[in-house]
Parts: sequence; structure tokens; C-alpha cells
Amino acid sequence: MGNLKSFEDIRNVPKEELRYKGRLPQLGIYLGKMFRMFVFQSDWKVLPMAAVIAGLVCYVVGDNLFRNMEGTLLGTFALSCICIWNGFFNSIQVICRERPIIKREHRSGLHISSYIAAHMIYQAVLCLGQTIITIVVCVGMHVAFPKVSLVTGNAMLDMVITVFLTTYAADMMSLMASAFVRSTTMAMTVMPFLMIFQLVFSGGFFQLQGNAEKLTNLTVAKWGLTAFCAQGMYNDLPMVSLWKTMDKMKEVEVEGQQPIKMAMELIEAQGGKDELLLRCGQYNQNPKYESSAENVEVCWMRLIFYILLYAFLALGALEYIDRDKR
Amino acid sequence: MDLLINMATTSIQTEVTQNWSKIFFFVLECVGIYFLSRKAEAKKKWMAFVPFIRYVLVGRIADREKEGRVLIGLRVLDWSMSLAMDFIDVADEVNSILETTGPVTVISSDLKLVFLLAAMDLAVWIAIIVYWIRLYLGICKRFKARNLWVVVMIFLEPLVFLLFALHKRYVYYPAEEKVADGARVSGARAKVLAEGLTVDITDRTVKDSGKEKRLLKDIHLSIPRGHMVLLLGGSGAGKTTFLNAVTGYEPANAQVLLDGKDIYKEYEKMKFDVGFVPQQDLMRGNDTVYRTLSDAGALRLPDNMNGLARKKRVRDVLESFGLAMLGDTLVDKLSGGQRKRLSIAMEFISDPGLFILDEPDSGLDGVVARGLFEKLRSIADEGRIVIVITHTPDRVIDLFDDVIVLAKDVDRTGRLAYYGPIREAEEFFEKDGMEQILLAINQKEEGGEGRANEFVAKYAQLISGETTMGKAGEN
Repeated sequence: MGNLKSFEDIRNVPKEELRYKGRLPQLGIYLGKMFRMFVFQSDWKVLPMAAVIAGLVCYVVGDNLFRNMEGTLLGTFALSCICIWNGFFNSIQVICRERPIIKREHRSGLHISSYIAAHMIYQAVLCLGQTIITIVVCVGMHVAFPKVSLVTGNAMLDMVITVFLTTYAADMMSLMASAFVRSTTMAMTVMPFLMIFQLVFSGGFFQLQGNAEKLTNLTVAKWGLTAFCAQGMYNDLPMVSLWKTMDKMKEVEVEGQQPIKMAMELIEAQGGKDELLLRCGQYNQNPKYESSAENVEVCWMRLIFYILLYAFLALGALEYIDRDKR
Repeated sequence: MDLLINMATTSIQTEVTQNWSKIFFFVLECVGIYFLSRKAEAKKKWMAFVPFIRYVLVGRIADREKEGRVLIGLRVLDWSMSLAMDFIDVADEVNSILETTGPVTVISSDLKLVFLLAAMDLAVWIAIIVYWIRLYLGICKRFKARNLWVVVMIFLEPLVFLLFALHKRYVYYPAEEKVADGARVSGARAKVLAEGLTVDITDRTVKDSGKEKRLLKDIHLSIPRGHMVLLLGGSGAGKTTFLNAVTGYEPANAQVLLDGKDIYKEYEKMKFDVGFVPQQDLMRGNDTVYRTLSDAGALRLPDNMNGLARKKRVRDVLESFGLAMLGDTLVDKLSGGQRKRLSIAMEFISDPGLFILDEPDSGLDGVVARGLFEKLRSIADEGRIVIVITHTPDRVIDLFDDVIVLAKDVDRTGRLAYYGPIREAEEFFEKDGMEQILLAINQKEEGGEGRANEFVAKYAQLISGETTMGKAGEN
């Protein structure tokens, strides 16, 4: 801490001996600024928005999530969408809307690394808040979360980590986009393209093969969805498509008889329906969704890698802010 | 790496063996561009024979080099996508689809990917065509040919280029008439002041689309401490470029000394001794006045100060700028004048020796603006150098000591047309008031008298005999 007791004393100190705030203290200044913005500005609104979105999604797909294969794939895809939506909206405008201010502050000694680090911490807190709200809403709406933990020993904690990392990685991606573009209009033009790419190339709900499948590795959605499915024991869940199709076709007659209806009644009478559904599931297992700690850890590592990569790229983009024209 | 080599080899083999017509047209195009560049007397004519790069040459001929460069990027993108599509082997599947008479129900993922790449390539090609049209329009303009030629160029570019290049009827008109090397150079040097600002700018150049552009030239002046200086100049005269060069933010080919210390060499230490208030009020609207100022202080004040001294300084500056009662108010709730004062206070908090303001009175009414300039005068009277850009100088001219007049010479380079005391400026320009001076130096197309070059030359003549100059400082 400084020893000069008044501003006038500065004039008596040689300029070489004056020290200015380094990266770490600047990080504190910007964190304070961001949390004030959270209160004064509309940033806080992302938290109730997360609750509303989670509620809507749970209402539509929550019944079958983590109960059968089809519902789990659909539900985890929707869960990934929630995370990506939340993450994107948290930060898509945060840098580009104050770009001229950053340029002015950079001129006055701001370290861009402190600014980006402050955003990373602030956004992490926002994402954590959204994660907790999303999980609470899902639990409140009776989503059957997995009971078995694969990594931490606590299944709910595993789920919280996956939701958080997926949201945070999407958040950092949109922070990067916000650092690259020069205006909020451009940011809002770019965002749908990023989002569509994430959703289409998530590699779960829309099946892709060959070279197209390799592109899925570039998306946050793929690693989030894979982790969700692995934690939800996707490969051990029953598959209900066959039974539902049979149910729709049970009135079909062959030579005056209804063989499908008869088969269904027989299976139910012998108590074999559940076993049939499980056997159906076994024939449709997806090795990508293997329920193992290694698989979940790989997904988490990938997401962490993307978080750091996007932050690094945002830093690189903003270091050239002085080149912005008037 | 092997993969890339294989892809490139495959592509070259395909190009060479199967596309003789393409090669023929490529050569024809190269020859067309080459002859066109000869007629336009363009430099680096060899570019005509280099794939992709030749668009820069076409851009130069059309005086649209930027478009030429974008076209390179687009063509490289198109080429990469074509290469990727060639590499994905879907020929058998395409053949079987073509031979199938019934509906095709399922296609492979690789073919889907090819379709995706084709869709993206289509998007790139739309952009390519737009940029081609821009270049062709530029060519038409330079040859004073009708724009309808663009349609012919799209299909028969090499032939049209050859026609334009070889037919006597088509004459190339360069974009800019070549001019002499601007107004005369003074050859003067600024007088180095032990307490004040010394500016010796030889020139300031930037690269724009590969071309070197000179923004400032031959500016030499010395401003003593305690002076408030008006920076006057028309639009595009280089006022902001000059200020950025003086502050060291965008260095020029120059020497800038503040109290004898080189700002460029000691920028990291000295940047806190230079306060620059931008034209716009660049502050976060949803933060409080006190916090905005204390955060600005946290960045600009040295860490050697203890917390209490820092808080006191923030309070003193708030008081000094009449914002003490507004500490808890959000910046968005301030009036225009209050906001401007806060913006100035943010720079003033570190007590800079050199204080520069870019149109601080924009958007303020006369009374508020007058109050603001009186405040700036008091800052200067405390021994600081204050340089101000304003477009309505006459209402506050009595508060200034000197004026710097920047003007565009015939090369459209920012030059010093005058520096010295206000009254002498009026005599020099034979005008009554700063706004009249501005009118005299502004271009005719801007509604001015277009006499900038005359005054630049006159001032250069005036100071050319002097080895040092510091007219204003000697008053």
C-alpha cells in the first residue's frame, strides 16, 4: 500500500518511483464495476430468465428425461440448448457495447488481460447462479435426475458441474464473439449462426456420420450432451419406440387375427414388457454415451479447453482495440 | 501435412489434365490484366501472372485495391472449399444417383457434407460476384467507359481487358492527378522548452490498403506551461491524428517532449501525465458518479498514495468540478454539462501536465460551454498546458492564449498553417475571428475559400528562416 498521505506529495516523488496498479489490482476494480453493473444494469435479469427457460423445457420434455432412451436424448439435447442459450445471452453484448470505453481506459493504463479475467470471473458467477436455478427448477418439476455418481461421488454435483461447464463454455464463446465484433448489431447478427452451428452439430439429436461427424467435436453442445447422456446412464435405459409403434399397429389384422395385439398381451401377461424395452435399449446403445467416469471427465476437459481457448482468443482480439477507428 | 500435399497434388493433377480450357482462360486473363496494367502504368505488373494476387493489381488499376484484396480472400476460400469437395470421394454415389430413375431416398453423410460445402461455396460466390462488379465498375470509371461493360466483363473479362488495353479509343484516367510535393516545407525546428510541450513532427504516415498515406507533415511548435491553446482545423485536417501523435498514443515520425522528457521514449511512465478527454462521453451510464471517478483514479493515480489520500483526491476533484452533490447519482441521470464535467474530471484526477480535450463543448449551450471553458482556463492558470478542439471558438476566444491552425494542403496532408497568439493569427489570415479563419482554409467543396495551401506556404515561409521557433511561448 502507498505511503503518500496526500495527492500533493506526488509532485515531490520522481516519476520513476511512481507505481501504478498492476493486473491483479485492476482485476479487482473491474470485478467491482461488473457486480455494480449487475445491480444497476439489467444483468440480473438473466437469472430469472434461466428459471423461466428451464421451467418451459422441463414442462415439455421433463417427463421422460433420464427415464428412457428417447426421452433422455431429447431431454439432454434440450438441457444443452438451455445451457447454450443462457451462456450466449449472458455475454454476447458485454464487450462490444462498451468498446469505445475500453479503448479510452486502455489509453489510461487498463490491462486487457485484467479486463478479460474480470469478465471470466463475473460470468462464471452468473453461470453458476443460472446452473443452480436450472437444477432447482428441474428438481422442482420432478425431473428424474440420475442417482449414481460417476465422478465426484455425488450425482447431483456431477450434474451441476456439467450444466455449469456447458453454460460457461457457451458464455465464453459469445464473449469471444463480443470481443471480435465492433457493434451490438453485428453481435446479434453473428449469434444465431453460432447457435445454429452448436445445435445442428451437437451430434446427438441430429445424427451425422463421416466427415460431418468430425465437425461435432468443435461444438460445446456435443460435449455437454455426451456428458449428460453418460451421467444419465443412457445405454442402460429402456427404449420405448418399438413398444409405442407396436401399440399404434395393434389393430392390424393378418388372416383375421391381430398378431401384434396378441403378442403385446402375451408379453404383458408374462411380465416381460420391461425386459423387452431394456433389450430394445441394449440393441441401440451408443458407445459415445458410455456411462463411465473417464467419458464424463473427457467431456469436462474438452469444455474446460474450449473455455480457455475462447477466453484467450477474446484477449487476443481486444489487444488490438487501439486500432479501432473513430 | 501429407494429407494437404495429397489434396494439393490431386487438385493440380485434376486442373492440369482435365481443365485445359480453364488454363487457356487463365493465361488469357493474365495477359489481359498485364496489358491493362501497362496502359495504367501500374507498378508490379508481374502480379498479373500470379494466381489470386493479380486481383490486387486489378484493384489498383480500378483504384479499388481494398476490393481486390477482399477478392483474394474470397477466391482462396472458394478454392479451399472446392479442394475439400474434390477430396471427399462421392463420385460413385453421384453416378449411381444420376443413373437411378426413381426417387433417391437416402444419401450418404459425405455427400451431405459436399452439399453443405457447395451451399457455403455458393454464398462465397455471391460475394465474389459483388466484388467483381465493384472492380469492373472501377475499371469502367477509370476508362470512362459505360457501366454496361460490366455485364460483358462478367462473361468475357479477358477479352474486354485486352480491348481496353490495346484499343486507342480507351484511355486510362488515373484516380488522382499527380501533384507537386504539397506546399513548401519550413525546415524549422521547435524550440525545446524546459517547462512546456515541444512538438517536432516530420510526418505521420499510415498504410491504407497497402498504400502509404501521409496524414501529417512538418509541424513544429512549442507550448509553454500555463497556456491554453485552441486547435483549429477543418474536417479531415488531421486534428485528432495530431493529438494522438502528441500524446504518444499513435506515434509519428517525430520528437515530442514534455518538460524536456521524450513522451515516445518514456510513454509507459508519461502517459499518466497526459490527459485526453474524447469527444464522446465514454463512461458507463449505469455506474454512479463517485464510483466512475474513483475507478478512473484507481487506474490513473499512482499506487504510492494511500487509501485516504486517494479518497480525498476523488472528493476534491468532485468538489472542484461541481459534482460533489451528485456522487450517488447514476451517470445516465446527469445532464449534458454535468456528464462532460465528469468526463473531464476522469482525466483531471491524475493532475496531468498536458491536458487535451476534443470538442468538450459539443452538445452544450452557450452558457454551460462558457462555464466549462472558464474551468479549463483556471486549469491552465495552475501551470498546465491545455489544448482544446472546438468548432465554435469565437464565443470563448478571449480565454485562449494561442491557436494552432491545421489545414489540408494540395496533397490532402495535414499541415501547420499557423501557430501563435490569437490576435496575430487574425492579422496573419487577415480575418476577423477564428470561424472566419476556418472558412478561409476550408476546401471549396466544403463551402470554404480553399486557401489552405496559400497559408501553409506563407507560414512555412515565415518560419523557414528560424532554426528554432516558439513564437507563442515568447509572449
